Amino acid sequence: MRTMIAGASDGRGAGMRRSGHVVRGAALALLGLTQMFAPGRIGAQERDSIPGVTLGLLYESAYRPTVGIKPFTGRFGGDALAPRVEAIIGRDVRYSDRFETLESIPEALAGEGIDYTLWDRLNTDWIVSGQVEGSGDGFVLLLELHDVVFREVKERGRFPIPDEADDDFRMAVHRVSDAIVEWITGEPGMAASRVAFSMQGPGTAWEIYVIDSDGENLRRVTNYANTSLSPAWSPDGTRLAFTSYKEDDTPRVFEVDLGTGRERALAVTREGQYMTPSYHPDGQLMAFSVMNGPRSGLFTYNFDRDCCLTHLTGGSWDDISPAFSADGRWIAYTTNRFGEYTPQIQIIPSRGGTSETLSPYEYGANSYYADPDWSPTQEMVAFHGRIRRGRYQILVADLADRGHRLRQVTWEGNNEAPSWAPDGRHLVFAGERDWGFGLMIVDVATGKIRSLIGGRRVDVPDWSPALRPAS
Amino acid sequence: MVARRFVVPVLVAAVMAACSSPPPPPPEPAGPTAEEIEAARQDSIRRAEEAAEAARRRAEEEARAAAERAHREAVAAARAVLQQMVFFDYDQAEIREDAAESLRAKVGILRASPQVQIRIAGHADERGSTEYNMALGNRRAEAVKAFLAGFGIDGSRFTVVTFGESQPRAQGSTEEAWAQNRRAEFTITAGADAINPAN
Repeated sequence: MRTMIAGASDGRGAGMRRSGHVVRGAALALLGLTQMFAPGRIGAQERDSIPGVTLGLLYESAYRPTVGIKPFTGRFGGDALAPRVEAIIGRDVRYSDRFETLESIPEALAGEGIDYTLWDRLNTDWIVSGQVEGSGDGFVLLLELHDVVFREVKERGRFPIPDEADDDFRMAVHRVSDAIVEWITGEPGMAASRVAFSMQGPGTAWEIYVIDSDGENLRRVTNYANTSLSPAWSPDGTRLAFTSYKEDDTPRVFEVDLGTGRERALAVTREGQYMTPSYHPDGQLMAFSVMNGPRSGLFTYNFDRDCCLTHLTGGSWDDISPAFSADGRWIAYTTNRFGEYTPQIQIIPSRGGTSETLSPYEYGANSYYADPDWSPTQEMVAFHGRIRRGRYQILVADLADRGHRLRQVTWEGNNEAPSWAPDGRHLVFAGERDWGFGLMIVDVATGKIRSLIGGRRVDVPDWSPALRPAS
Repeated sequence: MVARRFVVPVLVAAVMAACSSPPPPPPEPAGPTAEEIEAARQDSIRRAEEAAEAARRRAEEEARAAAERAHREAVAAARAVLQQMVFFDYDQAEIREDAAESLRAKVGILRASPQVQIRIAGHADERGSTEYNMALGNRRAEAVKAFLAGFGIDGSRFTVVTFGESQPRAQGSTEEAWAQNRRAEFTITAGADAINPAN
């Protein structure tokens, strides 16, 4: 998709940049999640409400470079589309939470050429400029990333953009936004992604929906007029697995191909209620929970070859909500094996083995942790926990520290079921506020929260991987 | 009756006439004959008996209908008892005393109605993890099943399903709504026409 005309990277590291800005070099190299591990930063909020565990969100005092977006121009019929493309990219850049952005651009900066001195006076570090050209059956976006410090073009890209009426139009533009994030920070973005979730209505039915990462393009996936919950993206982003009661009002696992609409049911070879599916990164193996009588357990099954139901763990307690690690070697899940009323997070090798407890379980403390999701980029697991006064908040456990360092990333209302974005930095979760329910996105590095969709009852979101163009 | 009332004054008139004035010509027989009187008497008896029989039959039918109605009401009441929901405390799957009473009432009916099979659906309120609440709903339904099985009801007569928090009875995020939503529901899946009240 992305064709580089000229790569202007010249090996001059971020550390060489001028010293006028705070924490300049290192921050650029480390920008992102690594910042969160730095101990004792200014503004850290610490709390010891769980004995032996450090709670606290490390609000970054780290330097965030300023990105200015020069109004995009158009030619050969691309004039009308240029401001639309620019608006999508501008919002994506803000939503990435990695940059400062300029509220408005002075008239003088909108014209021909790049006046580096003037941009510099606005404390701009990077300038994005673009031109949309009509090209055969669609358009091409010629994009430039200017380095204000070195007064030169740092990157150039040529991105084909389909017509606005095309289904892939917005996603194609989001991929450009992710390229900009990667050019500047060297880390993956998350604009070209979607969130799957369940939403109630009309009536009492829960259907599966997907929505773009910027809150646009809401689409319904199922139309079963029944309860469907817990969607999970396949690693290639083409399929969704989920729990549905569509047959016999009994929970079963189904998979829908988003391209073709083809639906498959997981073969039920053992009695029980099947729920909460999750894909292995190989896209074939699936893990899920089976409840049979007062017993339950986690199983894996090769959905692709329709073979080999394998028991991983379980017993006369509840094991539910499995989530694979990015390398597929581990599964995090919710278990109440320590007591009926104290669900905890455990991890187990995905081929079977001994479980380890990740959440800060303490005998008799009646703590509550559930709904783990493994980061796609770091050895970190997000889940939610009951913190104080019966409130549920989103927590992030660092596996490097065997989970003994927990960061709390939400503080308001009730918040459940976190799922990582492909950038490994944002989490989507189901939030409840005074005004109602909604899906919200938190930047775990800054604690900044935005709303993705609200109004109706929404639940159990799953964030897709980076979505590639359909081949 | 009409015939007899008619006969008596005619006879009296005839006797009086015979005593006073010169004997008139023998009167023409004015009333029914004795045979006719007897027939009329028998007829009236038969009709009275018929009426009594009809009344008896009617009463019997009414009694039968009343009994049938009472039975139907008892079956309907038994069905209602079987379908009566039970409720749980927050985050608990233990059978509360009010729930135990309701379940004990089901036991007698289930014993008297061996063909009846039931699906027990466990539900949770919206608080806590949606996915973990699936487990909580299942534990509630299983606790109900275990309670009933504890009274000797064959466990194979029950199927269990959890709906977690997906099907609230009461909307809203209030204590009242939550209390209504932490429940087990009962659906008769077989033998609905063979419900008998408890003995």
